[in-house]
Amino acid sequence: MSHWTEVRPSEDFYRVLDADGRPLDDPPDVDEETLRRMYRAFVRSRAFDAKALSLQRRGEISIHAASTGEEAVSVGSAAALEPDDWCFPTYRQTAASIYWDAPLARTFAGLMGAEPETVAEHLDDESNPAVNFSPPYIPLTVNVTNAVGSAMADAFNDRDTVTMSYVGDGSTSEGDFHEALNFAGVFEAPAVTICHNNQWAISVPTHRQTAAETFARKAEAHGVPYDRVDGNDVLAVYEKSREAIERARNGGGPTLLECVTYRMVDHNTADEDSVYRDEEELARWADLDPVDRFETYLREAGVMDDDEMDRVAEAAEADVDEAVEAARSVPRSDPQRMFDNHLHGESWTERHQRAELRREGMGENPFVDFDGEGFK
Amino acid sequence: MSSGDVALDVEGDTERWNVVDAVRETLAQEMRRDDAVRLLGYDVGPIGGVFRATEGLYEEFGGERVIDTPLSENGILGTAVGMAMRGERVVPEIQFMGFLYPAFGQLMYSLAKLHERSGGGIEVPMTVRIPYGGGIKSSEYHSESTETFLVHTPGVRVVCPSTPAQTKGLLAASIRHPDPVMFLEPKRIYRGEREAVPTGEYTLSLDEARVVREGEDVTLLTWGAMLEHAETAADSVDADVEIVDLVSLSPLDVETVLDSVKKTGRCVVLHEARRTLGLGAELSALVNEYALDHLHAPIKRATGYDVHFPGHQTEDAYLPDAERAEHAIRAVMSYEF
Repeated sequence: MSHWTEVRPSEDFYRVLDADGRPLDDPPDVDEETLRRMYRAFVRSRAFDAKALSLQRRGEISIHAASTGEEAVSVGSAAALEPDDWCFPTYRQTAASIYWDAPLARTFAGLMGAEPETVAEHLDDESNPAVNFSPPYIPLTVNVTNAVGSAMADAFNDRDTVTMSYVGDGSTSEGDFHEALNFAGVFEAPAVTICHNNQWAISVPTHRQTAAETFARKAEAHGVPYDRVDGNDVLAVYEKSREAIERARNGGGPTLLECVTYRMVDHNTADEDSVYRDEEELARWADLDPVDRFETYLREAGVMDDDEMDRVAEAAEADVDEAVEAARSVPRSDPQRMFDNHLHGESWTERHQRAELRREGMGENPFVDFDGEGFK
Repeated sequence: MSSGDVALDVEGDTERWNVVDAVRETLAQEMRRDDAVRLLGYDVGPIGGVFRATEGLYEEFGGERVIDTPLSENGILGTAVGMAMRGERVVPEIQFMGFLYPAFGQLMYSLAKLHERSGGGIEVPMTVRIPYGGGIKSSEYHSESTETFLVHTPGVRVVCPSTPAQTKGLLAASIRHPDPVMFLEPKRIYRGEREAVPTGEYTLSLDEARVVREGEDVTLLTWGAMLEHAETAADSVDADVEIVDLVSLSPLDVETVLDSVKKTGRCVVLHEARRTLGLGAELSALVNEYALDHLHAPIKRATGYDVHFPGHQTEDAYLPDAERAEHAIRAVMSYEF
């Protein structure tokens, strides 16, 4: 029997705002500066995704996975971190690094296929975000195991730093997820794992992903505390993340948070979601859009008005445009860059292959060394 | 080209150690030297490892430096990478090479890749200790010699000692090195011959092959536990054999290999791994590409066969030994282009 339906999920999760964005109880205790930063991150992330999509359609970037519809998970959780904490994201948490002011130009340049050394060299004047972000991981769930190791290092050194990492619902089927949570539980690592349950792992729905009642409950097998949150309610995600982070920081060990949300767009720009899901389902989730709900809350709480929201949107557009221009200014990566940063020091093989590539680039025949002396 | 007995250049006291003593004493030395060195694995704690290579270390350094983990190779490598990213010098143990395969995800996705994909921004300094190889009459998956999987992986070093003194210098160098090092310990010689090993600190180059003995007629390329067969074979044949211990399987010290083959004109590779795409294939290709004019005979590979490692009644027939090496040497000596 399946406990899941992507169309109408059960709502047995923690929620601060109702479906329209009105507090269900007393308004949450979040300072206005944090609320504004969260909103700004939402808007910048949407502007970023829209621009990335258009760049992909024009062939300037090869592939992009957008966050549209599930930004509250990234923004709410990342906002609960403190400077010097660590964050191990995947490709779908750009909004988390945007909250902490990661330079957008670097992200665009990476999407444009520039080698990381080239990006660092030409966009090196931008400051790093206060929270330490690993490069986004592409292979699923590998990041969580590394994040737990990072948290173990903090525990062994009696540091009060917390490490956060992210998975999707599909990723909870990977061995790394269980290995990570098992280690986290055994070593009481200050590791907070956020699961975006966005209902789809490319085309495979949640009910084909697990027979467990919830994804959160998978933590039970590992002795790790868990909770389930409305992932389209940024304040709920923030509250529960803050609790988990505080507990971790105080030596209370790991937490798994399942954030129930929905991927409103294709898995990535190479996907075609109309093949496997219908309009009705999308429409229902569109009503729960995290940005709309948050806007309602901010307006009614008197934190922001329409004018200020318009200014945030204009600034986001301008920032994104400027970041794209900066990314475009990065020169094409020298092909020799592909040899950089594999091993420290040098080897005969690397020297030789670099020379072969150089000769090939000059239109020469690279195969003319018959005694191993030619390319030294 | 490096000289044979680098360790003997080190002044001071020596003690007679076998390879497993050298591993244990080097781990202790490095852990005393640097608080960031942590051991990670299962059974590495109070019992001291299934080969006793970590014996006594739990008592000296405690459970946060000598960490018994859940039974999960992928979990061990994955968490070790996270710790290494945060400045720890992690030395995980994979109990047997045949147990490495569940950890291939973390090996390929993060251990070997993070330094490169971060544009050099992230260091992953760790030394993965892996007892490997056959000849101890063990059970399935306990005798593997699949170093080719590692050599084919960019971003990791693969190092293999063949003597106690070398084990110490290479293991210390690996632990101190910023790169991830896959440190293959030939477990068949763990408790083999003892030799005088300097007790003071020293390191050996991770990049240099070792010319174990010089010769004029044929080059014998080998590493690890096969070295003793190479020496026996060299003593038994009617030829002046030059033995090169590769030491570093990745990256290879190609110059030492080519210089030797150019001098002798003949080459045999001796390894216990399967033949097809074993490291002998690469060595043979390198000699073919860069020293063909100097050859007087085809290169021959005295290796294991392309089968799963057999049961212990059969393993002696599978494993190359001095006799197989002698046959290969005599064959290439009998041929003249």
